[in-house]
Amino acid sequence: MTALARLLAALFSRPATLAMMAATTLGYALLFLWLSGDIAGGGRGGVHLSLTAWQRMFESRGPLRFEPVGLVELGPWVWTFSPLDTLIALGLGLLLGGNLAGLWLARREPAACPRRAPRAAGLAALPALLAGGACCAPLLVVWLGLPIAGGLAVLAPWLIPLACLVLLLGLVRLAIGRNQQGSEGRGGGS
Amino acid sequence: MMARAVLTVILGLSLCLVGPAASPLARAAAPPTVLEPEVPLAHSLAAFRQAVRPGGPGKDGIPAIDRPRFESVAEADAWLAPGDRVIGLQRDGEARAYPQRILVWHEIVNDVVAGTPLSVTYCPLTGSALGFRRGDGTFGVSGRLVNSNLVMYDRATDSEWPQLLGVAIDGSQAGRGLVAERLVWTTWGAWKARHPGTRVLSRDTGYVRNYRRDPYGGYNPRRGYYLPDSGRLFPVMAEDARLPPKAMVLAFREAGGAAAVSLPALREAGMVRLTLGERAYVVIHDPGLDTGWVYRHPQGQDIDPAALRFGPGGAGGPGGEALTSVPAFQVMWFAWAAFHPDTLLIGEGGTP
Repeated sequence: MTALARLLAALFSRPATLAMMAATTLGYALLFLWLSGDIAGGGRGGVHLSLTAWQRMFESRGPLRFEPVGLVELGPWVWTFSPLDTLIALGLGLLLGGNLAGLWLARREPAACPRRAPRAAGLAALPALLAGGACCAPLLVVWLGLPIAGGLAVLAPWLIPLACLVLLLGLVRLAIGRNQQGSEGRGGGS
Repeated sequence: MMARAVLTVILGLSLCLVGPAASPLARAAAPPTVLEPEVPLAHSLAAFRQAVRPGGPGKDGIPAIDRPRFESVAEADAWLAPGDRVIGLQRDGEARAYPQRILVWHEIVNDVVAGTPLSVTYCPLTGSALGFRRGDGTFGVSGRLVNSNLVMYDRATDSEWPQLLGVAIDGSQAGRGLVAERLVWTTWGAWKARHPGTRVLSRDTGYVRNYRRDPYGGYNPRRGYYLPDSGRLFPVMAEDARLPPKAMVLAFREAGGAAAVSLPALREAGMVRLTLGERAYVVIHDPGLDTGWVYRHPQGQDIDPAALRFGPGGAGGPGGEALTSVPAFQVMWFAWAAFHPDTLLIGEGGTP
């Protein structure tokens, strides 16, 4: 726990890792919201904001998918804004950003480099991109015309929790590795 | 503002803890049904139940519209193009248009037309729009699919009804059939020309959706999932390669069997005669709406296609008085063939 706290403190105290996490969080959240259908085309140009359905904020429309409360139009884009979907997108993005920044930090600090850095942790964020989508299928599957929506629908409830868990484990592994290497470094190892 | 946000959070958490309150609509009666539906079942009810798959969203994750609002032709013209697809319904002088771009997000509208409670249902995955009497009850979207087709549930008995079958496959109503109401799959331009006083389902549905975008593709022009040769996404119980999977056919069935007519073949012929079991039928193309009307056709009765006139309820004119209307609908070929593998097909090899 202390190791994880130390890693987080290191990630949040350096401008470079902070910037990397912020960029990854934002980029991943936008990608997630686009592939889950919350952000799409159809905008009329300009900026329009209409938040009229706050009473639906907690209404579920699928596994870890929630009703939008309003429309945000920005140029050609339309965002059907669900606060809870957005929180999930940002949360996953932050976990991914933490993993990527942690790896970068580990490489920048040779003494703290884990012997087996969890380089694949970032891939854990991919399944969550298949969690939402059109009414009955992930958008990627619709666009590619793949006859696998039936199988994915069975997995759908687990995709976001799975991504979350693996990203968390990735962070923990980074923290433990960094801690061990730190101890060895202080003990004269490496 | 802060107080409102806090109240919303408290209300939301309460709903999460106790579950959504049963709406007054949910306590209503079961839909009107027929004990022995005129639907030939190619598979047992148990086989249909086994073939049901989760579609992704949960029960009511695709929310039916229970309090539809309507607007005028002039208001709808501001956001509907003449080539946009609508589902038309005409009953006792009242005409309604339900834009496909709204129904793709909701799939069911629980409406009352000319005093009759009806459910207008649309499944984007099978391109099928069917109407049903609902009595005092309402239908919702179960979030499950069979043969890629929407499985509805009635909120009174929780029985499950595949839309294309119109027969309950599970629950206390299993084996019973719904009473169908003819809907017309056409364009906004064609519908308003036939029904200038039509009312149009408003985008003010009570839900927030991007009604300018269809997540599956589009019909104006046809693209994405709706292209005739594009693949289906979910498994089906039977496959039939006589037509491309998403080719649209006009389909109907009665106890004697099922039949489908390809739209290009019907357009070209104008009128098609066929027999199912011992009954003779005539399928007449309606060029105004680019759809077909199906009638039982008494043997020996002559019909002159050139003399036919098309009104709100279908074809009329010399010989028309002897015709008995049969519910028909347009649907993607793969889905029709999956439910009715023994279907007769007119227009095999035609360009979809």
